[in-house]
Amino acid sequence: MKMRSKKIARYLIALFVIFSLNFIIPRLMPGDPITNLLGEDYVMTEESLQELREKMGLDESLPIQYLNYWNGVFRFDFGYSYHFKGPVSSIILSRMKWTLLLLIPSILFSAILGSLMGSISGQKSSSNSYKTLTLIELAFYSTPTFFLSLIFLYIFSFKLGLFPIKGFYYSGGILDILHHFFLPISIMTIFLTSRNYMIMRGSVIQEKSKLYVVYAKAKGLSDRQVLFKHIFKNASLPLLTLLALDFGFILSGALFIEIIFSMNGMGNLIYEALLSRDYPVLYGSFMIISIMAVLANAFVDFLYGIIDPRISDSV
Amino acid sequence: MTHHIEELKKYAISKLNLNAIGITIFLLFLFIAIAAGIISPYNPWIRFEPYIPPNSSHFLGTNDMGNDILSELLFGARVSLIVGFGASIIATVLGVIIGIVSGYYRGMMDEILMAITDIYLMIPRIPLIIILAALMRPNFWLIMLLIGFLWWPTTARVVRSSTMQIRDASFILSVKSLGFSDKHIILSEILPNINHVIIPKFMLTIASAMFSEASISFLGLGDPTMKSWGMMLNFAFMKGGLINEMWWWYLPPGLCIVAVVFSLMLIGFSLEEKENIVLGLE
Repeated sequence: MKMRSKKIARYLIALFVIFSLNFIIPRLMPGDPITNLLGEDYVMTEESLQELREKMGLDESLPIQYLNYWNGVFRFDFGYSYHFKGPVSSIILSRMKWTLLLLIPSILFSAILGSLMGSISGQKSSSNSYKTLTLIELAFYSTPTFFLSLIFLYIFSFKLGLFPIKGFYYSGGILDILHHFFLPISIMTIFLTSRNYMIMRGSVIQEKSKLYVVYAKAKGLSDRQVLFKHIFKNASLPLLTLLALDFGFILSGALFIEIIFSMNGMGNLIYEALLSRDYPVLYGSFMIISIMAVLANAFVDFLYGIIDPRISDSV
Repeated sequence: MTHHIEELKKYAISKLNLNAIGITIFLLFLFIAIAAGIISPYNPWIRFEPYIPPNSSHFLGTNDMGNDILSELLFGARVSLIVGFGASIIATVLGVIIGIVSGYYRGMMDEILMAITDIYLMIPRIPLIIILAALMRPNFWLIMLLIGFLWWPTTARVVRSSTMQIRDASFILSVKSLGFSDKHIILSEILPNINHVIIPKFMLTIASAMFSEASISFLGLGDPTMKSWGMMLNFAFMKGGLINEMWWWYLPPGLCIVAVVFSLMLIGFSLEEKENIVLGLE
């Protein structure tokens, strides 16, 4: 119980720090804060700029600005984008679903594929065929998602013509969406599978020398039974933790795929915002991604409690 | 028994090979980075005719600006490796200091440092670097520093747990009872004994830093005066290298990134697994 409240406190502090960073950065950076806050994609006279400065409270003292900022955060107000012409929060939310549509299936597929292949490979770590598999997975793990996307786009879309080159799908039914999402989800799944594979393999190698495994073997269970009845559950815990801890990294991988495939998700939103120096969208995206990362950690903590009750009780 | 020794040999040899493959690839790129000025056919900034396909005077053709791609690639090794090494040195030094202090002194210090580490770990690093790099003028050193200062937490965690494992070992206690200072114990007893976790972590951090640099540069946030592989990919993608099927433009820098990251991971993982050499046997 004590552990749980400590964890919750840690998440809240993490969010507090991240949100405060988001307040400090535009004001600390060189240049006019109003430019850093609005972005560079607007045309305005000096008068209306001054008016806006007052309206945004930039003439106030920093502590007051900080309070106003939190007031905005609690109302889910992340500012206004001059490039996309709309409030940042609703722009991001409308794009988010497409990113999640890419991310969630990939995470699920790769969790299954990676943990199965990784655990068998970990158990038979001295077998040469599994060593070869490990090298292949390591090579995929070393490949940035944007580069894998470039190669896949070239082979499957340009050369073979199997999939669309551009990812926009404003209209069209489920089949059309599937058609657009097949390659991106495959790439994301390949990348994440390689990651899960390496983690799971290492984890099983560590786990399999423990006494309970020796005991299970002594009972006369087959290798497969030992692996899936005993080792698997314990060995998959690090996989879960790292999935949550690296959520930001994993999400970034998806964003890069979206950029290459010109998809309608957050990746291209950030990229467009970057090209037009539309900072409010960048700040908003950073905050939303952070919230998602913290939530992922909290969710995994919750799962941990179910899978391994020892953890929530002790420590 | 002989059977076991046989297997141990086989295992040791195959492990050695993996490590050796990694080291060979890595040394090759290290050589390229150091000798870029000598082995590169041209200055990467000289402009020839643009969009030349590979031929005998330009093995990998030229890009949209007419720069020789092979020369760019060789000099790019320098940029990418310096960012990776520099960032990893910063991250490793920070991580080792924080990890050892935390694991050795325990108590309140440990609580605070680990809370900071946990919070740090939750900050999405790539999006944060994107924002900072977008606000400031893209600069090579800045990107290296940012990666370095954001990449230490995992090293700190690993170092902390290995420090905790040995801090109560009898050889440490005996040095302590002889009256040596904490500083002495940390520097000459603990540090040498956790080297085997620090070194693989250092290699993996270089890999991760280079991976991230490539991603950030791919977004066009790289230093325009220092062309890294990620930036070459960015130009190839933005200026139509992909659409016009100029594989010689976008394929080589991508493959170089993959090769170096792969070699570093191979070294890092096989060093880490050496710990489990007996376990690998079965």
